[in-house]
Amino acid sequence: MELNGVILPDRGKFTATIGDILRGKGGLPLYLSLAGLVVGLYAAVAVFVIGHGETINTYSLVPWGLQITTYFYFIQLSVGCAFVNFFGSLFYPKEYKPFASRVILLGIMAAPAAFIAVATELGRVDRIYRMFISPNFTSPMFWLSIWYGLYIVALVLTYITIQTGKQSNKVLWGTFIIAIVTHTTSSSLLGVVSSRIYYYSALLPIYLLFIAFLTGSALATIVVSFTVRQKKLDAEFYLRPFIKFIRIGLALAFLAGFWRIMIGLTSHVEGSEIFHLTAKNNLVFGLGVSILIPFILLWIGRSPGWLAFTGLFIMLTQLKNRSDLVMGGFKVPVFRAYETPAIIHYMPSVYEFLILVASISMVCVLYLVSEKTGLFEIVDRKEEHRL
Amino acid sequence: MKPFIETDILEIMSEDLQRALKKPRADRRWGMAIDIKKCIGCHACATGCMSENLTPPGVHYRPVREEEIGEFPNVSLRFMPRPCMHCDDPPCTQVCPVTATYKRDDGLVVIDYDKCIGCRYCIVACPYGARTADSGKYYTGEYKNATYEVENSSEYGKTWKRKNHWCSPVGNARKCHFCIHRVEKGELTRCTTTCLGHATYFGDFNDPQALINKVTTKANTFRYKVSLGTMPTVLYIV
Repeated sequence: MELNGVILPDRGKFTATIGDILRGKGGLPLYLSLAGLVVGLYAAVAVFVIGHGETINTYSLVPWGLQITTYFYFIQLSVGCAFVNFFGSLFYPKEYKPFASRVILLGIMAAPAAFIAVATELGRVDRIYRMFISPNFTSPMFWLSIWYGLYIVALVLTYITIQTGKQSNKVLWGTFIIAIVTHTTSSSLLGVVSSRIYYYSALLPIYLLFIAFLTGSALATIVVSFTVRQKKLDAEFYLRPFIKFIRIGLALAFLAGFWRIMIGLTSHVEGSEIFHLTAKNNLVFGLGVSILIPFILLWIGRSPGWLAFTGLFIMLTQLKNRSDLVMGGFKVPVFRAYETPAIIHYMPSVYEFLILVASISMVCVLYLVSEKTGLFEIVDRKEEHRL
Repeated sequence: MKPFIETDILEIMSEDLQRALKKPRADRRWGMAIDIKKCIGCHACATGCMSENLTPPGVHYRPVREEEIGEFPNVSLRFMPRPCMHCDDPPCTQVCPVTATYKRDDGLVVIDYDKCIGCRYCIVACPYGARTADSGKYYTGEYKNATYEVENSSEYGKTWKRKNHWCSPVGNARKCHFCIHRVEKGELTRCTTTCLGHATYFGDFNDPQALINKVTTKANTFRYKVSLGTMPTVLYIV
């Protein structure tokens, strides 16, 4: 199998692109992303050098914070890309085909971005190999590591089949199923925690599955909008499936999100007061701003620029929603000892924000460099060759 | 005739402990009972625990809850110390991805500091908030650590040097272990010995002669958050 010029960028083009970047011809988005990556990676290194306690604001009452939020967010983004690839290839093959390698590569790129976040949250990341030496088969975290590994392999396989023009239904379905299993396992990390009623729900993995589809569709829409505009393609034809995907994603997310809140609000189980405490935010922001407003935005306009804005709006609001979900579970302490506040407040540190910047920047840098090296043109050129 | 000075309960529990230690480990079932009526909220147990286990800021094995009961003018305070419940069906051991936390055959739920990856999932899963994260902080600041803060801890019968943030238990989850390093040497848990009101009982639930069995069978007891089905081995006497 040929690597350069098929799976990886053409060696000559890659060298030329790096030369252009070094000469200052990379474009503002790339330099901004590179700056974000450098600053973010500095923060990640600082966590290991200075120490968790001095850099990260999570503590015993809020054991998981912005980094775990980032981790969940990038997993859902990656899985969302796999879903878009599946539904796009299956139902809109003509419209979707030119963007398939872009979408699936974004899914692959989101995986290391998620890992940066989680690696800096672990107290002893140097012992992560223990997952395989002394595994605990009852732990969702162990199963997540297994499924996530398989999922990345499946994504890479899908990418190879796209780049080599040998798409197979078996790989497509296999990746789709593994993506579902991976994402539901990742959501079950929270969903099985019976001590935190805010998380403990069979609805949570399903809700987050829909959110993954929505976020993946939003990211794909941004990428497709820019590509369509750049290449002067028929915007209405190529963007039609993505608008549908976002609409379906919004509807499903609203349905699952609404009932999750309602079930919580009617609960009388110990700890269910969190649902009342967070009701205003969940209803106004979680459903109103994050789901209803994008519906209206889609109704107002359909130009590539407007759709890119809508996609970005969905991605940002969903990031805030993930943060609200992860941190919401710790708002009321399970045991209120002497001097423990009734409601716990947590504000991420600068380092935590910078690690989020690192994860976002990493995806941007990898994508922009891939774009500049002509990696995504390979499939198009093959198609032209065949014609 | 009843003696003028009754035998101190600490002496009785010490004898119970010696008897239990003569049995094979699997035949013991360590447990604790806390008499809420006797607890005066002095926090001596919490302080004793901190000095015994050299716990850094944010790491508390045995905090005490204070509750106001009733309405003015009939108000009273109730105190509830909370060690690790050493549940019979612990949620923390189920979620640990690397089996760093597990239940021993004598009923203790322990953490292997050399295995723990610091994912904090057990802290999220514990319904009692009994687990805390050691993120490597010091009371006296990062560069001016008092000697007592960097002294070697002897939890689980091992020596833990606190040299930097890559030395366990820094970065790990930590919790009450019923002072097993003391118990296995024939000493009672630190919280039991420091309790001013003699409100804490410790012993082997498998020994019918043990004081802990006598006090818990006679009195009204409850287990904290029993509806979760975790079956704590810490009983509260009310």
